[in-house]
Amino acid sequence: MSRVLYTAANPPARSAWEAINPMRMIGELSETRYWMYLLLLPSALLITAVVLYPTLYGIQLSFREMRLNRPALGTDWVLFKHYARMLADPIFWTALRNTAVWVTSSIALEFTVGLIAALALNRNLPGTKVLAVLILVPYFLPNVVAGHMWALMLDPRLGVINDLLVKTGLLTGYKAWFADPSTAMAAAIIVEAWHSFPFFTLLIMAGLKGIPTDLYKAADIDGAGPFAQLRLITLPMLKTIIAAAVILRVIGLVNSPDLLLILTNGGPGRATQVLSLYAFQTAYKDFNFGYAGALSVVMFILLMGFAWAYIRLSKVNQD
Amino acid sequence: MTTNFSRRSVLKLGGGLLAASALLPQHAFAQAKAINYWHTFTSQSEQAGLDAVLALFKAAHPDIAVTPENIPNPEFMAKVTAAVVSGSRPSVTMVASERFKDLLAMGALIDMTDRVAKWERRKDFDDKRFESISADGKVYGVPSFAFVDWMYYRKDWFDEAGIAVPTTLAEMRDAAVKLTNPSKGRYGYGLRGGPGGQNIIINIMEAFGSPVLHADGKIGLDREKAIQAIDFYAGLLTKDHAVPPSAANDGYRQIVEGFQTGQTAMIYHHTGSYQDIASKLKPGVEFGTMAIPAGPATRVARLAYAYNTITKQEDADTAWQWIKFWGEPDAAVAFLEKTGYFPASTVAAQDKRIVGNPMYKAAADTLGFGIPQPSFPGAAGWAESSVLPNFQRVLIGQATPEQAVDEMITALAEATN
Repeated sequence: MSRVLYTAANPPARSAWEAINPMRMIGELSETRYWMYLLLLPSALLITAVVLYPTLYGIQLSFREMRLNRPALGTDWVLFKHYARMLADPIFWTALRNTAVWVTSSIALEFTVGLIAALALNRNLPGTKVLAVLILVPYFLPNVVAGHMWALMLDPRLGVINDLLVKTGLLTGYKAWFADPSTAMAAAIIVEAWHSFPFFTLLIMAGLKGIPTDLYKAADIDGAGPFAQLRLITLPMLKTIIAAAVILRVIGLVNSPDLLLILTNGGPGRATQVLSLYAFQTAYKDFNFGYAGALSVVMFILLMGFAWAYIRLSKVNQD
Repeated sequence: MTTNFSRRSVLKLGGGLLAASALLPQHAFAQAKAINYWHTFTSQSEQAGLDAVLALFKAAHPDIAVTPENIPNPEFMAKVTAAVVSGSRPSVTMVASERFKDLLAMGALIDMTDRVAKWERRKDFDDKRFESISADGKVYGVPSFAFVDWMYYRKDWFDEAGIAVPTTLAEMRDAAVKLTNPSKGRYGYGLRGGPGGQNIIINIMEAFGSPVLHADGKIGLDREKAIQAIDFYAGLLTKDHAVPPSAANDGYRQIVEGFQTGQTAMIYHHTGSYQDIASKLKPGVEFGTMAIPAGPATRVARLAYAYNTITKQEDADTAWQWIKFWGEPDAAVAFLEKTGYFPASTVAAQDKRIVGNPMYKAAADTLGFGIPQPSFPGAAGWAESSVLPNFQRVLIGQATPEQAVDEMITALAEATN
């Protein structure tokens, strides 16, 4: 009896079912270089549908006339009309300046408090697990809830904060924090920092767990104190995490007007008007989607520029 | 006994079940008609009023299920705009009169002219009630209830100080100044300089002789008269110090709480807040109601209506049943008793439960001289994006009345050109 030797050049004959068996076909496809593209296809389609298409649509909108309550104006291309208007629009410049203050102050405060909280919780002292949960609670609150809660706490009539400050002698009378342009932005920044500092705490804590303890032991032997260890070991080792957290928070702060919408609605006057809120109001109060699109494109460019510059300056990708 | 299934018999059985399951839900839906209703009711009293109307409707139309969906007022236009653009419209939408022109321009509303004309209760409604929801001879909604502007005042404080109820804005200012006593934490007037305050500012400008929408249809402000109005109204804070220092950020909640807690002597709102006020203060003893005082040029008290409109053609017939039910006197009075919102129907407004209550006299008087909110495409956006922030700038000392009015005029031109 002769034996048949099956090789790649001489495969065994397939039955009709084997030829169309989808599992076999998938198995064979997984061995090819097209498999990677096939796996990426669903997410690529999803991103195209929910991110890329709206982004491109928004960009083209910024070059068109699009006022929903003025259909007679049509939707013709207007090229850079909206961008030219922006340059002469004092509210845009006020909003840009306020956005810079809002974002940098909030990030600085959130990072500082978040770092301190993470370092404290990382010491594994008794009760830190409970404290870690409590510290994260503000972050789990929706912006709307946090906004209304603080609006009541800072209320000039019924607010507990005013009451405490007056009773402790720090204030002589109840203060209308959000009605005074000199305190409205600061009060909103404090609310924002309270709400979002746990984001930094969470990420920094995760990063701290990954730093080898040997480094600290060696630093101890070399006589490095706590601040030297923080400066020379902890912060450099957390560089990538901090960079990612800062970029994510900056994107969130620039894009989300909800907290300011609840606390101040951009007022008093234009004291807390920021770009995202201005774009929102332009689109949904004035129904001028063309100009709102242009404002959004400017925000997009600013964010891209910031992310690029920040990554370069922090030298994250050089490690 | 064993049963053998062939592949063909299994496929037949599956196909039959599939066809049956596809038919069943359609049959079920055909029995119960369902619509959704977008509204802006937020307070407890408003919710109670809506629940009362829903209960009456359910009893009258057990075959129709209404799903109410609350859209907070500040987000209302954003949600409706998104729904129209994305094609996910609600069956029925509550529309405030000042939003009508914007919604009509974006194609959100469906013509209801024929339905309204054939409606058996059409004669219960004065023609004027439909003016703010009509354009080019077509009717796009039915008034469900009225926002009648009036003022609340602390009757006990006025009596104690021997001050008469003001009938002009000048008298109102004098009373506010006399009743202000910062050492007691009392202010004469609760000025709404925050969200929602823009309409009052427009009213004051019109009372001083500067309407934004003129009788001939032209749009524009009379600069000098508008400046006088802003100077007067902001002056209640900046010159007279007769309003709480938080005025620039005070919205509905703040002015009502300020009045309820004894901080302010007068507030300007409409009948819809009556039950909220009456839940904390005794009507006729601690507080009273008065018609909006007259300005130097005219008396401006808005008589605005909330309209129910059909916004989805597919549900139009069912939606119409819900919309016209609001015109039934029992529904209108039930809603009034829970909220304070006045009936839009003339017949319902004559109900003895309304005319027999002296607290409603100011509102009943206002029905005689009240005027609708100015409505033109861009009106609501201009009021919120320019009138309010520029008025706030005067309140906080960042602009003069002249600068604020100039900004308003520029923004008005941009909004309407």
